[in-house]
Amino acid sequence: MSFEQQFDAIENEITEEGDAPPFFSRPGGKIFIIWLVFTAIGVVIGVFAPHHLLPGLQSGTGSDVWATIVFFTVLAAPVAAFVYALAFYSLLAWRPKKSGSSDEPPPDGPPQRGNGPLTILWVGISTLLVIVLLVWGMTVWSSQQVAHDGALQVNVTGQQWLWTYEYPGTGVTSRTLELPQDRPVEFNVTALDVIHGFWLDTMGIQTDANPNENTVIRTTPTTLGGFVVRCSQLCGLNHAFMNNKGSVVTPTQFGNWLVSQGATTSAAAKSADVPESSLTPSSTSTTTAAPMNTGASQ
Amino acid sequence: MADPEKSQEDERKSPAFGVVATLLGVFAFIVAVGVFFSSQYYTSPSGTVVAQSLGTTEVNGQSMPHVALNFQTYPNSTGSRNAQGTGPGSVPVHSSGSDSWPAYGMSNVFQVPAHSLVTVTVHQYDSGGPLNNPWFSKVHGTQDGTATVTTPDGTSSTVSSWDQNNIGHTFTVRGVPGYDPNFFLSVPLPTNADLPNNEGSASNQDNGQSYTVTFSFISGGKGTYAWNCEAPCGQMVAAFGGVMSAYGFMSGFIHVV
Repeated sequence: MSFEQQFDAIENEITEEGDAPPFFSRPGGKIFIIWLVFTAIGVVIGVFAPHHLLPGLQSGTGSDVWATIVFFTVLAAPVAAFVYALAFYSLLAWRPKKSGSSDEPPPDGPPQRGNGPLTILWVGISTLLVIVLLVWGMTVWSSQQVAHDGALQVNVTGQQWLWTYEYPGTGVTSRTLELPQDRPVEFNVTALDVIHGFWLDTMGIQTDANPNENTVIRTTPTTLGGFVVRCSQLCGLNHAFMNNKGSVVTPTQFGNWLVSQGATTSAAAKSADVPESSLTPSSTSTTTAAPMNTGASQ
Repeated sequence: MADPEKSQEDERKSPAFGVVATLLGVFAFIVAVGVFFSSQYYTSPSGTVVAQSLGTTEVNGQSMPHVALNFQTYPNSTGSRNAQGTGPGSVPVHSSGSDSWPAYGMSNVFQVPAHSLVTVTVHQYDSGGPLNNPWFSKVHGTQDGTATVTTPDGTSSTVSSWDQNNIGHTFTVRGVPGYDPNFFLSVPLPTNADLPNNEGSASNQDNGQSYTVTFSFISGGKGTYAWNCEAPCGQMVAAFGGVMSAYGFMSGFIHVV
């Protein structure tokens, strides 16, 4: 007896009717309808939920990540919906009718073996889905690995329990991350103690900060505004407090910020890639490190 | 005589009632445990050190309360007990950990008023060494970006940083999400290993051989802020294990009220 014949026999037995009912009145048809509904719900959630659950976007990398999440969710929706539909229908339709009664659950269906077309179908669909996801993921990933000439270098150091950011060539090290708009940035990420996770969710980038290792991650901020840098690896006692504010500003504002942090106007202009004349010299004098245990003054 | 049908119905209901009761009980237990640990997290067995009022002062043309906050850093937590005196009132800075660990004292929980000028005086009794990150050798977030360091002989110097190889501890405060996240303060506390008669013992702590570090900052809005030491004064990985990974000795909270 073929699989279809076995399945029909079971369905007929369940429905207790001699003639096979219409497809949508049989369990298979009902599961199919439930699957369609669940798939539609999953697709709607996949398309619209990110607008409510994901942070705002401040870079092309973030847009790529957003699109990837939506695409993967939509592709996964029919698969998940099939599992849920099957479970949902089974729990409702094939349960004992009365709690505590002596009704026995219906007999198990026949083993799903020896059905070549069905096997080819699910293996084929699974393979196709995985290949599509792999190609999509590798394409997005490789697009983020492209180095840009003239990218702003930022040395990111994680330690328990603070991030510090060094801007090479300016002498500026800060605990806040300032980035110029529309300028490629290369983050050189490392750690001083344990493994931390450098995570800018609005930029769509995250990488581990490993001791004695330099990991490069790139993005191009496109949207002005603030963001939060978080540690994404559980790193110890005050991990929960290991976050700080950052912001994307115009190149001129970025240059002026470097000056306010102690950089010379020439170094700031070079780093910000703006004319030196566009920067405002800092009105506040920078503090100078005092030597150790010397120069007592009352 | 009991109705057999009703009795059967009760039997059928009782499992559901038991399940619901069990779930509620487990939920209540989890909530109780969470509330207990949460309440312990923000407190210290040695109490809260409340800043003392110094009246009002004017900063940048704005009048605000002025308070003084005093605390110490000890080579081991018994120093915190000694500072309180012996007897029933002598309690550790925290119930866990080791007495041999360095500790802030007499408590790790402080309280200051919001939007006030807070003048902090720290007696640093502990030795130290090099920092992992020289950035913490600089003074951040204080008034004028400086701190005043006074030696035992009364000589003072105003500094904006300290030798990164001779730091005992740092007092680093940060805003936490929800409460003024931009707030940040970090002051290096010099090692006093060069001072005489200081080997980090409890008895020497009482000799008063310490550097005194004074600085002022303007407190943020109301809320709870986290502080910790950023000098590698612990054990194991990068010297941030042991005492540095145990709440209560090199970390705590500032309640801004």
